[in-house]
Amino acid sequence: MRDEEILTGLVLEGRCFTLEELCAACALEPDWLLRHIEEGLFPAPEGARSEWRFSAIGLARARRMHRFERDFEAVPELAALVADLLEEMDALRARLRTVGLE
Amino acid sequence: MGSPVARFNGLKSNVPPPTYNRSAVDPAAARGRAWRSGVVEYRDYYKTLGVPREATIDEIKKAYRKLARKYHPDVSKEADAETRMREVNEAYAVLSDTEKRTAYDQLGRGYQPGQEFRPPPDWDAGFEFSGPGVSGAEAADFSDFFAELFGRMGGGGRGGAFHMRGEDHHAKILLDIEDAYTGAVREIALRVPHINPQGHVALDTRTLNVRIPKGIHGGQIIRLAGQGAPGMGEAKPGDLLLEVQFRPHARYRVDGRDLHVVLPVAPWEAALGAVVPVEVPDGQLQVRIPAGAQSGRVLRVRGRGIPGEPPGNLLLEIRVVLPEATNPKAKELYETMARELAFDPRRSS
Repeated sequence: MRDEEILTGLVLEGRCFTLEELCAACALEPDWLLRHIEEGLFPAPEGARSEWRFSAIGLARARRMHRFERDFEAVPELAALVADLLEEMDALRARLRTVGLE
Repeated sequence: MGSPVARFNGLKSNVPPPTYNRSAVDPAAARGRAWRSGVVEYRDYYKTLGVPREATIDEIKKAYRKLARKYHPDVSKEADAETRMREVNEAYAVLSDTEKRTAYDQLGRGYQPGQEFRPPPDWDAGFEFSGPGVSGAEAADFSDFFAELFGRMGGGGRGGAFHMRGEDHHAKILLDIEDAYTGAVREIALRVPHINPQGHVALDTRTLNVRIPKGIHGGQIIRLAGQGAPGMGEAKPGDLLLEVQFRPHARYRVDGRDLHVVLPVAPWEAALGAVVPVEVPDGQLQVRIPAGAQSGRVLRVRGRGIPGEPPGNLLLEIRVVLPEATNPKAKELYETMARELAFDPRRSS
């Protein structure tokens, strides 16, 4: 299978996803994300809800938390805790790469 | 410009601008899975979970969790973890649901994995289903076999009048740091699972040529419209979201848009100051080393990191390298310095 065409994508940077776009990209119901934000398990963006914008880190967190809840039947608090730890590992690995150790 | 900031006297680029084979593409039309309603390949969900057909719900749950631990894409080191996790989820969605499991057992009796399977018309007439049990988005990621059996329960199968946009797919794209300076076209290979005639999951490789814009950097996402999962019915396919990462480089390290480079200098260049050439991803710079520079000092060249608005900075870490005293002349020079400089590096200044 081979596509010879050159595909040009849209580069997304910073807080680029609305709530609806984030949920569509993660195949999530918006209610799921709203519930987690209300419960403090998912960082709430600043401003009014209509102005909320999420970053690529938020995208990864939503996907992870949802998978942990679905695949391990994890309670949302546990899914959030594991997501916190994985985000910290990601940040530490990024620092290792920056100093040339990974 | 303050003293720690190096000045460069000129730029000589030795990297030609990228050339692209420009061609129009309709991503939605370029791919998409032809789905033949009615005939699908039989899947053995018991085999997928590694449990006997008479397994209890607790045994099924235990087997599922064990496999989820092994193949979960967030923690697994297995190469095909995501594909295996999808299969395991599909099997569990059926076997953990009494209604679906009963229907699956009754319809699938006598079939072998990979064998062509066509459910009899109106096979579901004798069952009372309480609901799909999985979301439409999750089901969209499952096999045609699952959709043929259970797709109609949620209001329509893939072959019916049901339309749903395909799911977005996510992948990482590893780029060279040079790509961020010049732009590039990079080929990426995505593994696409399919069921082979033996009923096993095999992986096809789908190759895409992706234009990498100048100024790209880690943490950004390239969204390729229409390159995700096919839509159901007449709905559009999902998108492919590529998370950008740089490959480790022998000389360069990247932090956001800033580029770090270790700059070896001779002792006399560090002590007296000098203008030295520095290779950077898009050419060569002439950088002024200030007199008295020590190892570890960082010179910042503004705006010569990864291009962008604003561009990053180039951070040059000075590393003083001593010539070896392997010949009489070198030894004599070191001895002269030792005798005449009265220098003790261990005495605090």
